[in-house]
Amino acid sequence: MKRILTIFTKGLIIENPLLMLMIGLCSSVAVTSSVSNGIGMGLAMTFVITFAELVISLFRKLIPNDARIPIFIIVIAAFTTMVDLSMQAYFPALSKSMGVFIPLIVVNCIIMGRVEAFASKEKPLDAVIDALGMGLGYTWVLMGIAAVRELFGNGTILGLRIMPETYQPILFFILPPGGFMVFALFISFNLWLKKRVEAVSTVREAA
Amino acid sequence: MKKEILGLGITLCLFAVGACVALSLVYTVTGPTIAGLEQAQLEATLKDLFPEADGFEELVGVIKSESPSVDIQNTWKATRDRAVIGLAVKGSASSYGGDAAMLVGVGIDKKIVGARVVSLSDTPGLGANASNLTYFVDKQSKTTFPGQFSGKAVLDPFEVKNDVIAISASTITSKALTSIVKEAGLRSASWLDSNGGAK
Repeated sequence: MKRILTIFTKGLIIENPLLMLMIGLCSSVAVTSSVSNGIGMGLAMTFVITFAELVISLFRKLIPNDARIPIFIIVIAAFTTMVDLSMQAYFPALSKSMGVFIPLIVVNCIIMGRVEAFASKEKPLDAVIDALGMGLGYTWVLMGIAAVRELFGNGTILGLRIMPETYQPILFFILPPGGFMVFALFISFNLWLKKRVEAVSTVREAA
Repeated sequence: MKKEILGLGITLCLFAVGACVALSLVYTVTGPTIAGLEQAQLEATLKDLFPEADGFEELVGVIKSESPSVDIQNTWKATRDRAVIGLAVKGSASSYGGDAAMLVGVGIDKKIVGARVVSLSDTPGLGANASNLTYFVDKQSKTTFPGQFSGKAVLDPFEVKNDVIAISASTITSKALTSIVKEAGLRSASWLDSNGGAK
């Protein structure tokens, strides 16, 4: 049980894919100009990584080492296309605002990285837990960055007006440079968080 | 060596077949819904442009763009009691984040009855404000960016920052969308000139 919890939680802070492993950054700056996009992208990516890790882990003994990369891509691309089609059918508005970023989940380095480093070696249950942890780690960061950018850049959160009517939106936050700056702030916040978490767990181990 | 390659090929092929089967299943389920949604949205937009029309008929290949930057894709004739009351033209042009498409309605009086953004992939909070129903280029009269085209004569200059109010910090989007409206208006007007009287 403790092992599963460790696998799950490492994706959230200590090995957060965006803030610590620094992979999959392109989408994180591109889609985080509104919270609904951040949530949509996070959930879509979590779905794809979970099923991709599950399938790869189930078939890990049947995947020849020399052909593993193309097989990973086939599996990831299949699940991404499924998400894309389902979103177009059942969430047309969200699918429209996400545009090209959903198909681009195929080349999201986090999925490729976790499949290669984890799912292709571990048992299916562990792989799913790892995927959920990584997916959630990705989603909370996207939501956090998007909340800051949408609040200051547009005066709203999830489309609801938070800032007073007279507030003049700071366009800088919506533009890519603002995205990078907020991203950097999140990296330092996560480093601070990581130190706290590690301090707590060392104390616990000592006791 | 040969055997190894063959083995790899077969494994890869099996995975590809598996993925194809799964994808075709999902496509079969979602395909009709997606097509239905698109059709419903198109019909709603046409009806929105010409609320008084009682029929729409697609015209194939009768209107062609003469501007190199604008592409005209589809045209619909709006009719009431079988008399033409206007044309709806779907055109696209290259904008900041890729192609943008608009549906432009032109009445027989050679005035734009309305313009709607069909697809746009520009920056949220900036260019994407063109399709935001609560973003007003004129806050007093609550006019949206596409809304300002309603009632303009097709022979107007359609110049951004002159007779067209731009979306702030999104000149490229504003220019691209305006160019679609202008081209759609001009071409529709010349079609209406030669066919407008025909019942």
